[in-house]
Amino acid sequence: MSSGKKKSWRFEIDETRKQEGLIQIKRAVQEKKVRYYPSFLACLIEQLRYQTWSFWVLQGGMLVLALVLIRYLNLPGGDGEASITICSLFMVLTGNVCLSGVSRLFSWHMAELEQTLYLNLRQMVSIQMLLAGMIDLAVLGLLVIFCGGRSGAGTGAYLLYMLVPFLWSDILYLHMLTALRGGLRGYRQLSAGVLSGILAVFPVFVEESYHLEYLMVWGIAAAVGIGVLILEIRRLFGKIEGGEVLCLN
Amino acid sequence: MPELVLDRVTKQFQNKIAVDQVSLRLTEGVHGFLGANGAGKTTLLRMLCGVLKPSAGEILCNGAQIRGMDGEYRHMLGYLPQDFGYYPDFSAKRYLEYLAACKAVPKDLAKDKVQEVLQLVGLSGEQKHKIKTFSGGMIRRLGIAQALLNDPEILILDEPTSGLDPKERIRFRNIISAMSKGRIVILSTHIVSDVEFIADQILLMKQGRIVEQGTSREVTKSAEGRVWEYLAEPEEAQRLNEQFAVSNLKNEGDQVYLRIVADTCPCKGAVNAEPGLEDVYLYHFKEAAENVENLERRNL
Repeated sequence: MSSGKKKSWRFEIDETRKQEGLIQIKRAVQEKKVRYYPSFLACLIEQLRYQTWSFWVLQGGMLVLALVLIRYLNLPGGDGEASITICSLFMVLTGNVCLSGVSRLFSWHMAELEQTLYLNLRQMVSIQMLLAGMIDLAVLGLLVIFCGGRSGAGTGAYLLYMLVPFLWSDILYLHMLTALRGGLRGYRQLSAGVLSGILAVFPVFVEESYHLEYLMVWGIAAAVGIGVLILEIRRLFGKIEGGEVLCLN
Repeated sequence: MPELVLDRVTKQFQNKIAVDQVSLRLTEGVHGFLGANGAGKTTLLRMLCGVLKPSAGEILCNGAQIRGMDGEYRHMLGYLPQDFGYYPDFSAKRYLEYLAACKAVPKDLAKDKVQEVLQLVGLSGEQKHKIKTFSGGMIRRLGIAQALLNDPEILILDEPTSGLDPKERIRFRNIISAMSKGRIVILSTHIVSDVEFIADQILLMKQGRIVEQGTSREVTKSAEGRVWEYLAEPEEAQRLNEQFAVSNLKNEGDQVYLRIVADTCPCKGAVNAEPGLEDVYLYHFKEAAENVENLERRNL
């Protein structure tokens, strides 16, 4: 029997192979790409951060205008139908301004480059539309709450009167994004604004258009409008995926 | 290391086939697409970037369809389009920071990366200036900078040197050479010298097809026996210039030195010469060059 302490058994370390192994590990670590996958919220915030100052000025201007409008239309003795028309015209213009964020993505030959980025054009358009939708909803809510009651029409009818011109002007705007080319493209915002404005004031020229018996027509126009808007968004995304429109942009 | 495989990739626009059944395997190194305008280079590059959808065939990155890889593929990609887009009211710095955010470059790294690429292209001093005040060459350099922001494994540059002066072009070539290790660099150009010295592989494109492919030496070899040198009298030189593809014409005293690209000896006394990449280009794109010349003459 051995009397000494038991020696712990170990492999002999081959220093050369150890060094080689460490070099290989170091190389593998250097080659490893650490990728960052931003959350949806992070993407949304970044898109907001890089909006142009003119976008924010226009948004601020529209908000101030909304407050002035509400104050003016709440004065006693106001004309109900005129107030509906003014509000729907305002709603259409707000929608137009909000969608300018989408329009910007298609300007200055940026669309082709944006489609190759991690956050690609399709995703950027979705984010911009979401932002536009949220602002529009807030403005619509303000108008319905503060002006709807005074207009003489019920809240539901008032909502329809606001929604129909707004929906169709958005359809027109989105269509123009991909339909206009060349020199005409520069007039997109202006022409969409003018045409949408005409659309919004059109009911004034149709007698009794805001009367209850025409509510069904407004309802149909809204339902068809929602359907066409969905189709228009699908068409826009299809065009982005196909890519040809981006190369011509 | 990334690998791109193109399998019978075709793109058709209504009645025109822009890219016709191109099959390729692209690995680490610089791949230079050379071709006349309308040869299909830009269309092919746009398909490689995922901007255009191929009409037929497929593009695979490390064995997976690039369209299926979606954001994962775009993470690996840096692209400089021919018509480079920018927001003119943005400063160079803000523009690059915006694109870094869209390219998912981590926020804590983005600022340093922006400075790094600005320095690389020599725009550090102008970073706070609005892009609308930039010259064409500066805008092109900004385009190159944005393509490098995410340290891409696949770098695609469409006509990167257009608008650059000779000094800037040399600088750009050196940047590309230095960057090519460990990544696929694909560039298209119709300027032969852009790819002659830096491309590991040269691909000549004509009418949507790859007509020549290989190293600079291999491609020039294809024109061996087709390049001729000759000293002619001025009248004869004019006749030969009209009849054949002439890659070089120089007055030497009373005579004219001609470098002619032709399948057979163009005239008695002409001697065979060592071909260069420009000769190969001229050999393949003689008709295209003539069409441009005719068009220019008609416009004049």
